[in-house]
Amino acid sequence: MAEIKYLSEHYSKPEFKTLDGYKKHGGYEQLARALKMEPQKIIDEVKASGLRGRGGAGFATGVKWGFLPNNGEPRYLLCNADESEPGTFKDRLMMERAPHQLIEGMLISAFAIKSKKAYIYIRGEYMGPAAILENAIAEAKAAGLIGKNILGSGFDCDLDLYLGAGAYICGEETGMISSLEGLKGQPKLKPPFPAVQGYLRKPTIVNNVETLAAVVPIIRDGAAGYRKYGTEKSAGTKLFSISGNVNKPGTYEVPLGYKLMDLINIECGGLKPGRKLKAVVPGGSSAPVITAEECEKATLDYECLAQMGTMLGSGAIIVIDDSNCMVDVLSTISHFYHHESCGQCTPCREGTGWMERIIHGIVHGHGNEGDLDLLLKIADNMKGRTICALSDAAALPVLSFVTKFRSEFEYFIREKKSQVRGGQIYAQLHH
Amino acid sequence: MHSSTTNEVPKKMVTITINGKEVEVPEGSTIIEAFYQNKQDIAHYCWHPGLSIAGVCRLCMVEIEGNPRLQIACNTQVMPGMKVNNQSAKVKDAVKWGLDFHLINHPLDCPICDQAGECGLQDQYMKYGQYDSEMGEGKVKKHKVVDLGPRVVLDSERCILCSRCVRFTDEVSKTNELGIFNRGDRAEVGTFDGKPLNNNYSQNVVDICPVGALTSKDFRFRQRVWFLKDAETVCTGCSTGCSVKVYHNKEGLFRVKPVYNAAVNGHWMCDQGRDVYKFVNKDARLLDGKVVSGGKTEHMQATELAKRLGTTLKGAGKSVALVLTGAYTVEEYDAILNYFKTEVQTSNVFHWINNPETFDTFDGLLLRGDRNPNTKGLAEALSKNGFNGTWKELTDGISTGSIKTVVVAGPENLALFPDLKSKVSELAKAAKLIWLGAAKSADLEALTGDVALLPTKSYVEKSGTFVNQAGLRQAIKRVTTIVPGALSLTEAVAAMKGEDVLAQPTYQAGVASPTVGAGRVNNEFTLTRGVW
Repeated sequence: MAEIKYLSEHYSKPEFKTLDGYKKHGGYEQLARALKMEPQKIIDEVKASGLRGRGGAGFATGVKWGFLPNNGEPRYLLCNADESEPGTFKDRLMMERAPHQLIEGMLISAFAIKSKKAYIYIRGEYMGPAAILENAIAEAKAAGLIGKNILGSGFDCDLDLYLGAGAYICGEETGMISSLEGLKGQPKLKPPFPAVQGYLRKPTIVNNVETLAAVVPIIRDGAAGYRKYGTEKSAGTKLFSISGNVNKPGTYEVPLGYKLMDLINIECGGLKPGRKLKAVVPGGSSAPVITAEECEKATLDYECLAQMGTMLGSGAIIVIDDSNCMVDVLSTISHFYHHESCGQCTPCREGTGWMERIIHGIVHGHGNEGDLDLLLKIADNMKGRTICALSDAAALPVLSFVTKFRSEFEYFIREKKSQVRGGQIYAQLHH
Repeated sequence: MHSSTTNEVPKKMVTITINGKEVEVPEGSTIIEAFYQNKQDIAHYCWHPGLSIAGVCRLCMVEIEGNPRLQIACNTQVMPGMKVNNQSAKVKDAVKWGLDFHLINHPLDCPICDQAGECGLQDQYMKYGQYDSEMGEGKVKKHKVVDLGPRVVLDSERCILCSRCVRFTDEVSKTNELGIFNRGDRAEVGTFDGKPLNNNYSQNVVDICPVGALTSKDFRFRQRVWFLKDAETVCTGCSTGCSVKVYHNKEGLFRVKPVYNAAVNGHWMCDQGRDVYKFVNKDARLLDGKVVSGGKTEHMQATELAKRLGTTLKGAGKSVALVLTGAYTVEEYDAILNYFKTEVQTSNVFHWINNPETFDTFDGLLLRGDRNPNTKGLAEALSKNGFNGTWKELTDGISTGSIKTVVVAGPENLALFPDLKSKVSELAKAAKLIWLGAAKSADLEALTGDVALLPTKSYVEKSGTFVNQAGLRQAIKRVTTIVPGALSLTEAVAAMKGEDVLAQPTYQAGVASPTVGAGRVNNEFTLTRGVW
């Protein structure tokens, strides 16, 4: 098996982002079909397809939809297009190339969960994709695909775009809801969960761009058709964003369960000549790093990576070859989480800054012998102690980098220089 | 705002185990409430019983049997059969680390911090910390001495961002002046441009601040808190009668803080109530008896003056009028009214209402337009004795000359009597003015006619009962002595009768218990020090 074009079948065709072009390739046919189905039937189909959240957590989508209470309150469908995990850029591609696919998927999903109002929350930096989406939404509205009585079915659904201000934390679903409500983008205390009390304290479903887009082929091919790809527990295909030291970085769609090394070597054209693979961050910068040996055994599905103590996350694969100093890489990652912590919960607010300052110190030649153990202790005590997972996201890379590449860190502290780069103190890119 | 607990349907109870002890708690309680109800210690900063749950300090960690992850007690509801503990090594280590995270960027400037001695960080450190800091890096620098408004100052470096103050202005005062600006460890509490923290409840944020970040401009740098004693009493600032604590030493009173009372004020009190103490200290007080007669001024002890006045008042009949303000206790009213009825033999008794235009107003939270602690007690005493004289009868009596002597039990807190000057000049038209009062006033000093000034005790120097606007009888107890010679009205009356004042008990049993009025539960939420 190699790269397949399932979701991304027509992504290379420029006309696909216009309504006419999208319709030419079967666009909105699944919406018309879905509107004739029983909403519960759609939820059952999505459940049966085994579709799991593509934003990072990998929670079963159909099950999530089933959490909505039947209390007659208005429901909201929110599309999480905040795509803020470093290394992830597959949602951007989807929104740029196939905005109508997302809109169609959202309308089908909204119909399934009986929501009359849907929002796409897109990150502030994505002004290009936002403009394309705006355009697509306007086209769909003009064509009667969004609004009252869609395709004569009697189903009303409004859909709008909301541009955030650019914050990692607004990719967390309750942080996103806060931001959408006009508040400071800070995660909310759970319980209550969004499915019970979300946007405006009403039942709300938040799904990733890729998840919602995948609903379209699930309706077209049925659960069984979707399950042709992937594994038993990780069904379907997934778009992976590959960055770092490979010859052809980019977004590739492969079935789940695909071998990591095949993706690197076949699709991405391998590493630069003469370079050896050192490590891979498989699911966005918050996923624990895996070593080259571990990569050999890794397959790209939720189970295998979880077993290895890391995660598939958003499918952002960062390839690190032997020209990189792991201390430098961790320094950059730690800086990011320190910068992005919302500051609500004490362990995260204080811990992210503390860790960054220690790693910063090591990189500048001020490291102390006890620093690594202290880092591990701090990270350990940040894990699982906060409202949202940002604290874990900051702690996990520290834990995995320091544990798996300890000798490199020890060398840096002892010799006050990088084992990889040699003598100079690393010039911080970010200050 | 604070419903009485008497008529509520009893809640269903569930049995849970806290630290190995089986206890019953109301269904739907959170674990932290269950801990408090059962007098179990639990560390916390952001949770406050009067505010919404923030769940951000992450200190109230508990271990729940069957759950591998520690949970926060403030946002976890009790379930029947739940086994909770916060004594295991795992929890203690988590709290120790939670505390460490709070302290790494804290300036640790306890020696110059007003909160020292009643600080949440200090207290929890003594319980869970007692380690050497591993923080070797520089601390985050933030703004210091931030002027938030007329009464509150902020030190952002000391702030632990528990958001209590922000939630207070959102949820209680509903004035929304405060917010948390910026993110991560750069976050700081602040006000919006052009909208300072300026509401009548602003100093509550100082009380609920668990650390020394928010300090009161009135109190800061005036006393170390361990040199102050505290005592519970009732606020005399208005007819709401909030339960309060006054903090004092031999120099007088230094500050007032609210005490939780479900039936009256909940957790809060207003800023105007906090200023009441200033009228109790020596500077504002009448210190000894003074008689001005025929252009001659004579100073004497209050007891001696009272005895002398008693000889002229006895049997003087209808030429004497008594004017009462709502600042005295039920027991004092009983004593003085009884004296005037039986010994002086007059029915000329009048009620001085200090601000009739705004008397019945209410700010919706705590402050009432009736700025007297015991208007209701006075009204009850007057009607019990059948006294119903109107102010017009008094002024008419003075102008026709039928009333020759006016005895006034005057205000304690002059700031609450905007009509003082006009009333004094009105009353001074009588041939003789006998003024009993705690406060010193330029208007009284300036009087040249036949005047006697007798110093009375303030509310912290006597015991007795106040009846608040809702009819709740609340006892106050003597706290301290500020003006040694001053008399309560009861003592003054005794002296007028020629009795030995020292033999007179200072506390007249008016209610069953001298310590608590109804609704003042022994407060499980008020910790031993402060209200944090």
